[in-house]
Amino acid sequence: MQEKPDAADLLATAREVVLNELLPALRPEKAIAARMVAAAIALALRQAAAPPMSEADLAALAAEIRAGRHDPGTESHAQVAAFLRDYARARAAVSAPKVLG
Amino acid sequence: MDEAALRGWLARASGDDALRITALTRLSGGAIQQNWALDVEVAGQALRWVLRTDAPAVLAVSHTRPQEFALLRAAREAGVTVPAPLFLCEDPAVIGRPFFVMARVEGIAAPHRVVKDATLGGGREACVAALGRELARIHAIRPPRADLDFLGDPQADAALAAIGGLRARLDAAGTPRPVLEWGLRALERKAPAPLPPVLCHNDFRTGNIMLDAQGVAAVLDWEFAGWGDPHADLGWFCAKCWRFGQVAQEAGGIGPRDAFLAGYGRPVDAARLPWWELLATIRWAVIAADQAARHLSGQERSLELALTGHMVPELEWDVLAMAEAL
Repeated sequence: MQEKPDAADLLATAREVVLNELLPALRPEKAIAARMVAAAIALALRQAAAPPMSEADLAALAAEIRAGRHDPGTESHAQVAAFLRDYARARAAVSAPKVLG
Repeated sequence: MDEAALRGWLARASGDDALRITALTRLSGGAIQQNWALDVEVAGQALRWVLRTDAPAVLAVSHTRPQEFALLRAAREAGVTVPAPLFLCEDPAVIGRPFFVMARVEGIAAPHRVVKDATLGGGREACVAALGRELARIHAIRPPRADLDFLGDPQADAALAAIGGLRARLDAAGTPRPVLEWGLRALERKAPAPLPPVLCHNDFRTGNIMLDAQGVAAVLDWEFAGWGDPHADLGWFCAKCWRFGQVAQEAGGIGPRDAFLAGYGRPVDAARLPWWELLATIRWAVIAADQAARHLSGQERSLELALTGHMVPELEWDVLAMAEAL
């Protein structure tokens, strides 16, 4: 067993230091860099905690969509639409959870 | 920068042998262009100019400085609020690259300030109405125009050309993006019929427009201008992805859409706007992915570029909803 605190705890704690101790002490023009560091840590934490994504053949799916093979009216339309919704939700949950409400 | 060579050239261009450069400082700027604040004394008068030139690594998709100078002149003649274009030097021997000089305009373009600071723009509704008028003046420029011949012939179908251009960029980037493909295919199925082409700014959005307390100080960043469907600019300006958090203010995060369109004043086919707003969302996703690719490839390691890539999933989430509603 690895020693605690683990990666998630360390990153979360480091993020608090960036926001609470470093940010107020920085020159205003450097505030944005500190906020970006905090955002990157938060994003990395969400990505590490996220369930693995499906192994779908995305290149083939993209080509089929472009060729119109999943257009409304096709048999696969509803299934592909549902897959894309799940896929987009899983990606947004890591990169931009706020948009999921 | 060879200041003596620059001074000599400016003296000849301005017709004042005694022209003096009193300050020349690099402004923060993009990876594509370099902007220099240039203070001069001409005929006893202190003037504040901007010198604009290419960065050493020029991006092929953007216009050259002589072309941008021609666009600024055309825009100014059409009554668009742009910095006055003053002198163009196409001789690379003077400072190493072609450059042009324009008047220096004071104001605020930073998007998060523009959407939050109600003292900017002369009132929120008035501001978006004024921006609508600016866009209408841009769209009054029609082909053919000998001075803008570098724009090439208008596309026969601007909507389908836009879809084709984004697919080509996705293919060149090489990352499969089924959600963006889904949106593009929805656009393709519902593409609007072509309209007579007008000059489109192609990056008319909050962040590229400078405001002061009175109103619009300058419409900036002309490097993507070209012939197209006027609704492309309207959709780009109104798209949710360019509201910088002020989602309820549908005109660029600044004010109401109705006031913007009323200021625009020209006939608008309202049914085309959702189409072009979806295209705008996909276009920004493609650009954001390309920016992250510059970080990932090692070409330009940057936390800002890295985080820009993580905007893509939010845009994709919007693309699905917009495609559904189209």
